[in-house]
Amino acid sequence: MNALTVNHLSFTYPSGTKALDDISLSVGESQSVAILGSNGAGKSTLLDILLGWKKSAEVSLYGKPLCSYGRKELGRTLALVPQSEQYNFSFSLLDYVLFGRSPYLSQLGTPSEEDAEIAYQALYDVGLARYAERHITTLSGGEHQLLLLARVIAQQSSMLLLDEPTSALDPANRKRVLTILKQLHMKGKTLLFTTHDANLAYDLASHVAMIKKGTLLCYGPKEEVVTTTTLTTLYDTELTVGKIGTKTLIY
Amino acid sequence: MNAQQRYQAERKRRTGLLLGMLGATLLLAILFLFAGRYPTAGFRFPTDWSTNAITRSIFLRIRLPRIVLALLAGAMLSASGFTFQMLFSNPLVEPGFLGVSQGSAFGAALMIVLGVGSTIFVQLSATLFGLLALLASYTLATRFRFGGWLLRLILSGIAVSALFSSALGVVKLVAEPTKDLQDITFWMMGGLWNASWGQILSILWVVILSMAILLGYRWKLNLLSLQEKTSFSVGMNPKRDRIILLIVATVGTTVTISITGLIGWVGLITPHLGRKLFGSDSSTSLPGSMILGSFFLLVCDTIGRTVLATEIPIGLLTSFIGAIIFIIILSLKHQEGKA
Repeated sequence: MNALTVNHLSFTYPSGTKALDDISLSVGESQSVAILGSNGAGKSTLLDILLGWKKSAEVSLYGKPLCSYGRKELGRTLALVPQSEQYNFSFSLLDYVLFGRSPYLSQLGTPSEEDAEIAYQALYDVGLARYAERHITTLSGGEHQLLLLARVIAQQSSMLLLDEPTSALDPANRKRVLTILKQLHMKGKTLLFTTHDANLAYDLASHVAMIKKGTLLCYGPKEEVVTTTTLTTLYDTELTVGKIGTKTLIY
Repeated sequence: MNAQQRYQAERKRRTGLLLGMLGATLLLAILFLFAGRYPTAGFRFPTDWSTNAITRSIFLRIRLPRIVLALLAGAMLSASGFTFQMLFSNPLVEPGFLGVSQGSAFGAALMIVLGVGSTIFVQLSATLFGLLALLASYTLATRFRFGGWLLRLILSGIAVSALFSSALGVVKLVAEPTKDLQDITFWMMGGLWNASWGQILSILWVVILSMAILLGYRWKLNLLSLQEKTSFSVGMNPKRDRIILLIVATVGTTVTISITGLIGWVGLITPHLGRKLFGSDSSTSLPGSMILGSFFLLVCDTIGRTVLATEIPIGLLTSFIGAIIFIIILSLKHQEGKA
């Protein structure tokens, strides 16, 4: 069964701007898919729809229409790593990661000791366990991104949606985040991430969907789809797919 | 100590602190029952309880309901302020910032001037106009084309507050000066001198229900302080929950101030202190703030009714003490970062 099916999806904003036009794609379980495109291509709108934030009847999750999912059920199936998060209260890291346990709690429930254990483990997985009691506002940009990952790990959903997961990171933190994402993928999580970075897409994804001005240019295994021709068409500038040893590099 | 044990130990510490503060506040409330100016100023334990009807009346019909009202109102105003701060993800927000207090003041004053000064009508009108002010602030913020969401909200709150303030000015202008104007003025300064069991009973169920709902949501409030999309992604329904909690907090506040008059700063200061003591996790800092609110109002009211021969309106005291605490907190925040 496909983890995700998008069938002839179009989306127009109330202002009349058409953001997506006739997008169709299917994502298998445990696949890692990059949604690649330049700024304003419609990637974030697509992600919002896949999250259920913007309503659409053309999306199915594990064979069931996305719009028929209950809120908690959806939270147990899908998790979001936003591009950034704003904190106006200095929660501890543990407090914040525990938020990922929300879909498993009753309407008025609070996290149990077991939830705390899961949250600690998630912090351990991203290398932040020793800072569990530290205030969130003291973290660096790279640590923030790791914390967001810890929250979605604690959420234990089978599919992760990531909005530009490494766009604001320095090379060291980018490498740490990529390593964690690859580990999650190895553990069977389905990853779906937006990016305008073709190298990141090629490095992390098994499949790539290229979106330009709201339309799907191509979708398929990265080796077939990511070519000099498609990338040049996507970005309207000449890009080359080359190899240095076994490593593929886009420049 | 493993992770579970550390978490459990921290929870136990916070619960212990909560219970300790609750016990201390209740003990203080009992102690303050003996503070007053009858028969002489200071703390007096009645020796003529069984024989003197005036003593019994002062304790049971004047001081006790007043103390109970201080505890209730403090907890409710603090809970509402805390909720507003979480929902708007801004530690500087309280119902007064969004025009709710001014709306309620106008509603109450209107009833007084119209000669419908009975408690129930004042309560209804204060609640209605408080909600109307909130709705107006929210709607205006969605239509403003300037700045981010929070800035728009605060600007629209300032505008709505100003509108209701000027409307209140008009009401005061036409108010009958010897009685209605005095009633309005005292209402604006806040006070618990009119506290009676009848008044307390008239708001009790609304206040208890509001507090119970807010306490029920105490952990989920954390999630509602995040970006809407994030709270949505962890299984919340942020739009629905925000509306429910805003209405509950506003109704709780307006019903309370409909009998206490305007009491500022409680909803701003005590949540700050609560977070300092219990951390930012609202599952403990909300109940902690409510206890602090009760404590704060109890102390202010006792000072107000005992220090001078004439009563000092509680709103003046909460503003004075609150502003000093606020300055201290902001100075400390400068060193620590965020709330």
